[in-house]
Formats: sequence, C-alpha cells, structure tokens
Amino acid sequence: MTIAGVTAYAFSGGDTVASAGGALAGVGALVLAAGVLLRFQLAVPWAVLLAGAGYVVARAHHSVVDGWAAVVGSALLLAAELAAWSIASDRRIHEDRALVIRQSLTVIALVVAAGLVSFVLVGAAAVSATAGLLLTGIGVAAAVGAVAVVLRLVR
Amino acid sequence: MTRRATSKLGAYAALSGFGLVAALVLGRPEIVALTAPFLLAVGVGLALAGSPRFTAEIEADERAVEGDEFDVRITLAASTPVDRLDVFIRLPPGLELVAGMRARSLRLGRGEQRKLELTVRAERWGAHRLGPVYLRTHDPFGLRVAEGMLARMPEVRVYPREDTLRRILQPRETQVFSGSEVARRKGEGIEFADMRPWAPGDPLKRVNWRATARRGEVWVNESHPERNTDVILFVDSFAEARGQVASTLDLAVRATAALADAYIGRRDRVGLISFGGILRWLEPGMGTVQLYRIVDALLDTQIILSYYWTGIDVIPQRTLPPNALVIALSPLLDGRSADALLDLRARGHDLCVLDVSPVPFTQRPASGVDSVAYDIWILRRDALRHRLQRSGVAVAEWQEGAPLQAAIEEVRAFRRHARVARA
Repeated sequence: MTIAGVTAYAFSGGDTVASAGGALAGVGALVLAAGVLLRFQLAVPWAVLLAGAGYVVARAHHSVVDGWAAVVGSALLLAAELAAWSIASDRRIHEDRALVIRQSLTVIALVVAAGLVSFVLVGAAAVSATAGLLLTGIGVAAAVGAVAVVLRLVR
Repeated sequence: MTRRATSKLGAYAALSGFGLVAALVLGRPEIVALTAPFLLAVGVGLALAGSPRFTAEIEADERAVEGDEFDVRITLAASTPVDRLDVFIRLPPGLELVAGMRARSLRLGRGEQRKLELTVRAERWGAHRLGPVYLRTHDPFGLRVAEGMLARMPEVRVYPREDTLRRILQPRETQVFSGSEVARRKGEGIEFADMRPWAPGDPLKRVNWRATARRGEVWVNESHPERNTDVILFVDSFAEARGQVASTLDLAVRATAALADAYIGRRDRVGLISFGGILRWLEPGMGTVQLYRIVDALLDTQIILSYYWTGIDVIPQRTLPPNALVIALSPLLDGRSADALLDLRARGHDLCVLDVSPVPFTQRPASGVDSVAYDIWILRRDALRHRLQRSGVAVAEWQEGAPLQAAIEEVRAFRRHARVARA
C-alpha cells in the first residue's frame, strides 16, 4: 500500500519523465508484491531500490528540493519493514499477542523517527541551496561509513 | 548460541550506502532523505542489539505406556530482556502433540520466567528422545539473530501395551526350581501322580491308607512336583512389514512383552534374543527386575539392514539353556531367520513359532507379473510354515487385530497332537 502511494506520487508529475519514474516505481511495487507472495526476502531491497529510483527519476527535472521526500523515505521504510515481517511470519509459529503489539509499536516508532530525521535533512538541504564543502564532506563520510558497514557484514 | 546478521541488515546497509553515494554523484538531497530512514534503522538497531541471556530447560515424564498422554515442560528464564524468542520442539516419530504449541514466539522481560506446557501422546512403544529444542532470539529490529538448541534431550521410554493372556504355552521339560508348572517327572509336590509300595525312607504322610487296607501292604502316593521353566523369547528383527500405523515388529514386541509378563508371573525364568542386523540377548532370569530388563531391551529393538549371513552359533550358550521353551516371533520374511529357526529345532530345542503375518500390511497387485509374484510369495510362506511343522515346530499365523490368545491356542493344539520329530 505504501509503495503504491509512492508510485502514485511519482506519477502525479504528469509529464513523460514523471510517468517513466512512476512506471519504475510501479515495477518496484510489483516486485515487492511478488516477493511477499513467494516469501522471497531478497525481493524487498530490490523493490525499495526500484521505487526509490522511480521517485528520483520523476523528480529529475525539478530543481527545488521536494518537501515530501521525507514522507516518501518513511513510506519506503514502512513498506520494507512490513514486507520483511510478512515474509518472516509463519502461520505454524504461534506469536504471543504482547509480542505482536510490541513489534507493531516498534515499527511505528521507527517510521515516525525516520520521518522526523528525513524531514530535518530535507529542511536543512532546502535552506542551504549550495551544498558547500562541509556538507559534501559529511556526505562522503556517511557513504564511506555505510560501505564499511556492508564490508564488515560481508566479512 | 551462534550469532549472525540477518539479510535485512545487509539489505538496509547496502541501500543506505548506495543511496548516499548516489546522492553525492547526482547531487540530489531527496536521495539522502530516502536513504536516511534505512540508515537510522541500521544504526539504532545495532545500538539496541545486545546479547540476550537466558536459560532453557526441558522436562518430561520418563516412562509412559502406549496410548498414554504425558506433559512436556519447557522452562525459560531470562536475566536480560529478550525481545523475541522463537522456541521450536521437534517430536520424534511415535509421539504426537495433543495440546500446546510446537513452535512459539514470545518476549521475555528481565528476570521473567515462562513455562511452556505441551501434552504429548505416546503413539508407539520405544525409547524416544524429545527434541531437539531449537531456540532463536531476534534483536528489536530483527537485524541480528542468535540460534542454538538445547543440548539435553530427555528420553521417554514408552512401554508397549500388552494383551492379557489367560493361558500360555507349556514347555515339554521343566527345570529344577519350584514354580507353577507341574513337572512330568515324579517327586515332592501336590499334584497326584501314581502309587507304589512303601520303601524305607518314605514319610508317613504319603501313605495311602485306603490302598494299604485293600492290598494288605503299605502303599504310598507319588506326586508331580511344581517346577519352573525356562522360556526364551526369540524376536526376529531382520525385516518387517510396515503399514501406516503399525508394523510386524510392533506386533512382535507387544506380544513378547505380554508373554514375558505372563511367564514371569508364573515364576519362570525368561530370556530374550533379538535376532537381526544387531544381535541382542538377555540371559534367562526371573522376577520383576527381569521383566523390566526385557521390556527395556525390547524398546531398543529396531530393524537394522544387514547383509551378514548370521546363524545361531553367534548366540551365547547360556542364553539358550537346554530344555528351554523357545517362542519365536517372526514375520518369516528373511531367509536367515527361517534358517536359524530350523537350526534351533535341529539342535533339539523345544521351539514354537508365532508367525506375525506381514500379509495384512501388503496389497495384492491387481494384475500382471506383480500379482503372480505376490501369489508365489504367499505360497512360499505357506511352504516355509509347512516345512517348520514337518520338523515338529508348532507354527501359528497371527494377524494384526486378532487376539494373541487365539494364536497361542493354535500352537497349544498343535503341540498337544503332534509327535516330536527328531530332525
């Protein structure tokens, strides 16, 4: 549902580029649906990647930073979390009600916190039109840190 | 427990890294906003992921009888919070879950203790090991899991449900200890046997006063002593025919337990030979302890495939005492067991065979070569039974669902009328 919302938002641009982006996000939604149906965990990141790429393509010709990007990011995280939960849950395993409630609250809290963080980032980016050396440096450090985490996990 | 990262952690980290690099390359702040939630999930998730500490124990009743229900308790106690704990118990074949959950997910708070109760029905005799119990913990965001299993797997010994036998087979010869079997020879006993003239040393209480008055000289009564017997239960475990719920070995084990119980109750000495891929034996003994020994040995009986052509020479001499009654329970499926039975008879053992019929566990093919082969197999079984009977061995076919007593009566009838053949 949330990823379909992202797709609809990407389509809302109306022009050809937005349609192409919307189509890409739609493919992501389909991949996610297929992954949930087939219980294929690896489909989730690919679906998020496609949906995110679709959104970026749809926003390609806009020079102004989109304020809804924070909502889109949170929606993608929510879609990924719910899909992962759905794939992992097994009808044969009886889950305590308290556990389900706690897990739901955890996901909601995470999505809300992520939305706030993204909103702050988008706001900061909108205020500072020119990125500058400091922000670029922080971005590079973050990227290097993320790659390091990936390498650590792979090892 | 083994800790590992889930695919979710790898996926989120990869998305974050890729998004940040893409944001730098394309110069789009929106991509950072898309990536930030995943980066946040990874960061917070790893920060909150601790090492859960908890203990788990499994308890169950040690003994049960076929058809009984018993409780299995898994006790979980946490010294640190466990956000999500998956518990899964594997039940061996022969045990059926009646109540409770085989797999559960739950949360344990700090210092919390939970007991998971399961009710299990013992469907089949045997020594069953409960478990393993698999345990898996997840951190709050499901980025890391720790997996392990309980080292302890308690054993539940399920004893076969026995038939009650009203009459059992009497051996041709008795032993020297007193028991419930009236011996054929004469001696000190209760059962009247004969009369004879008095001889020096005969006690006064044995004088038959009526016969003495009639004959004019002192006559005394003779009697049969009550003696015990040696019975060897010979279980053929070379091969079995198995159906959906039962097998010929199941029937043989139940019958063996019933026979052992009946003979031990008469103060007879009972031994056991499990003759198959693995040879197991118990020397003859008497008393309740011996009964438990026999039943415990029966629980470990199983069919083990073997091509080794073994004979009764491998059986220790003391296990097969002279004058013992040997009761064989065999489906007569394997040539080695049939040869062993004929060899036993040839060596002069008092032998009878309860043929635990494999026929009800099979189905005759409708037509074709298979049906001919099936008919030939049935004929060969008949021929083998007749061959044993010609050797003086009482053979009775016992089918699933029929009372064991019926087969025993058939053997008794044969032994009453048949002559002893010297092979």
